[in-house]
Amino acid sequence: MTGRDDAPRYFAPTDLDGVLRALDGADESTVVVGGGTMVVPTMTHGHLVPTVIVDLVRSGLEGIREEDGATVIGAMTTYSSLLAGERERLREPGHPLNLLVRAASGITGGPQIRNKGTLGGSAAYANPSSDVPGCLVALDARVRLASPRGVREVPAAEFYLGAFRTARRPDEVLSALVLPRGTATAWGYVKFKLVESSWPVVTSAAAVLPDGGLRVGVGGAADRPVPLDLPTPSEGTDDPAWRALVADEFARALDTHGAVPVDDVLADARYRTDITPVIVARSVAGALERRQG
Amino acid sequence: MRNIRLNVNGEDHEVEVDPRRLLVHVVREEVGLTGTHVGCLTGDCGACTVMVDDRSVKSCSVLAAGADGACVRTIEYLGTEEDLDPVQQAFLDEFAFQCGYCLPGMLLTVRELLDAEPDPDDAAILQAISGNLCRCTGYGPIVRAVRAAVRSTRGGEGS
Repeated sequence: MTGRDDAPRYFAPTDLDGVLRALDGADESTVVVGGGTMVVPTMTHGHLVPTVIVDLVRSGLEGIREEDGATVIGAMTTYSSLLAGERERLREPGHPLNLLVRAASGITGGPQIRNKGTLGGSAAYANPSSDVPGCLVALDARVRLASPRGVREVPAAEFYLGAFRTARRPDEVLSALVLPRGTATAWGYVKFKLVESSWPVVTSAAAVLPDGGLRVGVGGAADRPVPLDLPTPSEGTDDPAWRALVADEFARALDTHGAVPVDDVLADARYRTDITPVIVARSVAGALERRQG
Repeated sequence: MRNIRLNVNGEDHEVEVDPRRLLVHVVREEVGLTGTHVGCLTGDCGACTVMVDDRSVKSCSVLAAGADGACVRTIEYLGTEEDLDPVQQAFLDEFAFQCGYCLPGMLLTVRELLDAEPDPDDAAILQAISGNLCRCTGYGPIVRAVRAAVRSTRGGEGS
């Protein structure tokens, strides 16, 4: 038995190979720390009691690069570094980073959180209210998981299994997010919350696809991000018939993915489900506007 | 337990830490600088804000072991009683704090903002302090203080 008073073993490897060595034979009691903004407080409050800590702080798993038709984001890339590179990058409107930049600029918690919080950490922590998971679903992104046994990539829509639950195995590290290029011509993002500093109630990331259809990732509404494939509204995003279709598609997607609407003190399940078509419509309207320039 | 080295406000320290030990506790209890406050320990309130390698962080969310070798600056670095930083002077002049609990974090965050952006608009000010919770002032006086700090800094440049 490991009690709270037994200090965990601590590793801060300086490269991916070192991370994989530290993870060899890891079980549920191994905690991988990214930026630490969520995992460290969780340990402090005793909700996570690790026997081993693998800290990625020196792992070098940061940076954004282009790789075979995809943009690859190292897991330890912080929101600040994503935003800092923004001005130098001249990109087509459908570039996947444009969506993440929109989402990252609205991250709450101040510059201190954007300086430490990482895209890989947010993806792996699977907080239903975080911005990143819903964006990854809209981006058709893949999550790269490395372990001593090898590397695999899991589509974002299959990676999320529930609130704070993913397909990552205990001896795997989320090493990068792989964003395929050319999947969209424009993006829209809307985050709805009732109080400035609170977690969002519902988020919607919308992609206009090259064939004119829409791919949407809904966050916050359910215990995992929910992907929606929708037709472009011919009568505009205010059209009640199109919004009813969004509501139907959302209900169907919840069912398909076994997702459960979030019901908590911030907003009950009924409220979240009711406003989802409205938030989706706003994000789609934004994306369509940007496509038209 | 493991030994880490920290440079805090220009001074080197070597400290033995449990891997779960938080940077904020090392700064206060081992280094002995108690100007950095412990608030929520969840990364929400910002009272524990310090600079690590020139970037603001919430030191309750930083493992001290992971900060090994870092350069840390705390509120004690910002100014002295005789020679306040312009941001400190502005907060004093504008009554921008009451109980003072959030103040060290608020001051460091505002200093970082003004170093990066010498003439921020109100939206940039509010965005910058969005991770620092004040339960006394309602933020109006804080925003006024930041504007005053901008004016005094620009005045100091003789512009």
